[in-house]
Amino acid sequence: MIPGPSGPPRRIRVTAPRTAARATGASFPVAREMAEQSEVGQLFVESLIRSQLRLALVVAGGFLVILIGIPVLLAVFPDINGVTILTVPIPWLLLGLGIYPLVIGCAVLYVRSASRNERHFQDLVDDD
Amino acid sequence: MTDAFHNGALQLSPAVGYTALVLVALSTVLIGIYGLRISRTTGDFYVASRTVRPWWNASAIGGEYLSAASFLGVAGLILISGVDALWFPIGYTAGYLMLLLFVAAPLRRSGAYTIPDFAQARLDSLLVRRVTSMLVVVVGWLYIVPQLHGAALTVRITTGLPSWVGPLAVVVVVCLSVVTGGMRSITFVQAFQYWLKLTALAVPVAFILFRLGADGRPITAGGSAFTADLNTTAEASLYGTISLVIALLFGTLGLPHVLVRFYTNPDGASARRTTLIVLGLLSVFYLFPTVYGILGRIHTPELAAEGSADATVLLLPGRIFDGMTGDVLSALVTAGAFAAFLSTTSGLVVSLAGVVSQEFFQGSVAGFRRAALLSALIPLVIALLTDSLALAGSVGSVFAFTASTICPLLLLGIWWRGLTDAGAIAGMLAGAVLCGGAIAVTALIGPGTGDDRVWLGQPALWTVPTAFITMVVVSRATAGRKPASASRVLARLHTPEPR
Repeated sequence: MIPGPSGPPRRIRVTAPRTAARATGASFPVAREMAEQSEVGQLFVESLIRSQLRLALVVAGGFLVILIGIPVLLAVFPDINGVTILTVPIPWLLLGLGIYPLVIGCAVLYVRSASRNERHFQDLVDDD
Repeated sequence: MTDAFHNGALQLSPAVGYTALVLVALSTVLIGIYGLRISRTTGDFYVASRTVRPWWNASAIGGEYLSAASFLGVAGLILISGVDALWFPIGYTAGYLMLLLFVAAPLRRSGAYTIPDFAQARLDSLLVRRVTSMLVVVVGWLYIVPQLHGAALTVRITTGLPSWVGPLAVVVVVCLSVVTGGMRSITFVQAFQYWLKLTALAVPVAFILFRLGADGRPITAGGSAFTADLNTTAEASLYGTISLVIALLFGTLGLPHVLVRFYTNPDGASARRTTLIVLGLLSVFYLFPTVYGILGRIHTPELAAEGSADATVLLLPGRIFDGMTGDVLSALVTAGAFAAFLSTTSGLVVSLAGVVSQEFFQGSVAGFRRAALLSALIPLVIALLTDSLALAGSVGSVFAFTASTICPLLLLGIWWRGLTDAGAIAGMLAGAVLCGGAIAVTALIGPGTGDDRVWLGQPALWTVPTAFITMVVVSRATAGRKPASASRVLARLHTPEPR
C-alpha cells in the first residue's frame, strides 16, 4: 500500500507493538536529532531535564506541605474545629472550598515556568 | 444492605427512572454513531488521530474520570463520615496536578499508546511489557467493578428492577458504543457526559437551595449539618488521612483510562493545557457532591444508619420537592448517575481493549472489538458475584494499587535514566504483592475498628515508598542491563516538539 502524495487521508494500519513504538520517531527531524546527540546538544538536554524536574519537585513539594499541613494543624490545635464562618466550621471551608484555588494556582504556575524552560532550550538549540 | 432498597420509602417512581435511563442510553448511542461517521481510519479509531482540541479533550477526560465514586460516593461518604470525606474529592482532583507536573507532556511525547507501550519503548524489554499489561488489566477490572455496583444500586432505587439489570445495561450500552465508534466517537460521548453530569448535579442543587431559602429554612440548620453525629465510620487518624491522600494523588497518574486520553493531544504543550482545563472542570464539579452530602446530613440522615448512604444524591431532590418538580429533578440526577457509570466504564473498556488487543490480537480493529467485549464481560461477572461496598472506598483501594505499581514505573521511567527492566519488574511486583495483599486481607477480615488495622486498610503510605525503593535498589544492582537507548528516549520525552 503506497500512499499518494495528495488525496484523502490514507488508511493507516496499526501494527503490532514493537514496530509501532519505533515508527512514531519518524516525525523527529534528523538535523535536530543530530544536534541533540552532539556533546553540546546532550548538555542542553540534560540541563533541560534537570530544570524541569526541579520545577516539578518544587511545585509538588510546596503543594504537599500545605496539604499535609492542614490535618497536622488540626491535630495540633483542635480548637480550630470550633471556629465557624456563617455556621460553616473552618475545616469544612478549607477542605471543601479552599484547596481548589490552591491546586489551580500551582498548576498555572507550573505550566508557565515549564513552557519558559522549553522556550529557553529551543532558543539554545536553534542558535547552535 | 440489599434489603433496604426493596421497601417503598427508598424508591422513586419507576417511570422517572426508566425515562432517565433510556434517554441517557439513547443519546450515548446516537452521539457514538455520529462520531462513527467521522471516524475513518484506524488512527481515528484508536487515538482519534491525535487531533482532539484541548477543550474537547479536557471535557472528555472529566467525563471519563468522574465515576460512580465521584457522582454518588462522595456525597454518601460525607453523609457517614463528615469532614474526613472531603479528602476524597481533594485527592481525585490534586491527582491531576501530579499528573501535570510529572507525566503529562513527557508521556505524550513518548508516542506510546498504552502504558505497556511506554514501558517497552523505554526499557526495551518484552517481559516488562507483559508484566505492565497484566497490571493494567487488573487495575482496569478492579475499577470497572465498583462502576457496575453503582449501576446496580441506581437501577434498583430508580426502577425497582432486580440488581443485575443495571450492570448488564451498562455493559451492553458500553459495548455498543465502543465496538462501533472507537476512540474518536467516544471522545464526543465523554465530553457530552461531563457536561451532563455537571448539569445533573448543579440544576437540582440550585432548585433545592432556592426552595430552602424561599421557605426561610436554614440551609445548614444552624451548623448542625456539620456537627450532627451520623458517623458510622471510625474517625480518620492522621496516618489514615495522609495514606489516603498519597494513594489518591499518585494513583491518578497510573490509571489506564486517564493516560490513554493524553495520546489524543497533538503535542506535549497541548497535553499540559488540557490537564490545566481538567483541573478547572474537576474543581467546579466537586463543589456539588459536597453540597449534596451536607444537605443530606439534615434531610436524609436515615440513609447513614441503613447503610445506603450512596443513594443520597438520588433521593435528596425527591425529599425537598413533591410532584412534578421532584420527579423531573430526580430524573436529572438519575440520568447523571447513569452517565457516570457509562462514561467511566467505556473509558476503561477502550483503554483495556487497547492493551489486550495489542497483546493478543495483533492490534487490528477486529481484534480491538473482540478485546473490548472481553474487557467488559469479565468485570460484569465479578460484579454480579460480589456485593457492593461503599463506592468511594472501594475506588480508593484501586488508587492505592496503581500508586504502588504503575506510578513508580512512570515516574522513574520518565525522570531517571538509571532504571532497568529488572528493577521495574521487581518494584512493580513488590508493590502489587504488598498492596494487593493488604487490600485482600482487609476484604477478608473486614475493616478494622480504630487505629489498630488502619495500616492494612490504607496501605499506600508504606507500599508506595517500598515499590519506589525496590525499583531503585534493584536497578542499581543490575546497572549493566540499562538499555543503550535510555539517553535518547529521555531526550525525546523532554525536548519540546520542533516549532
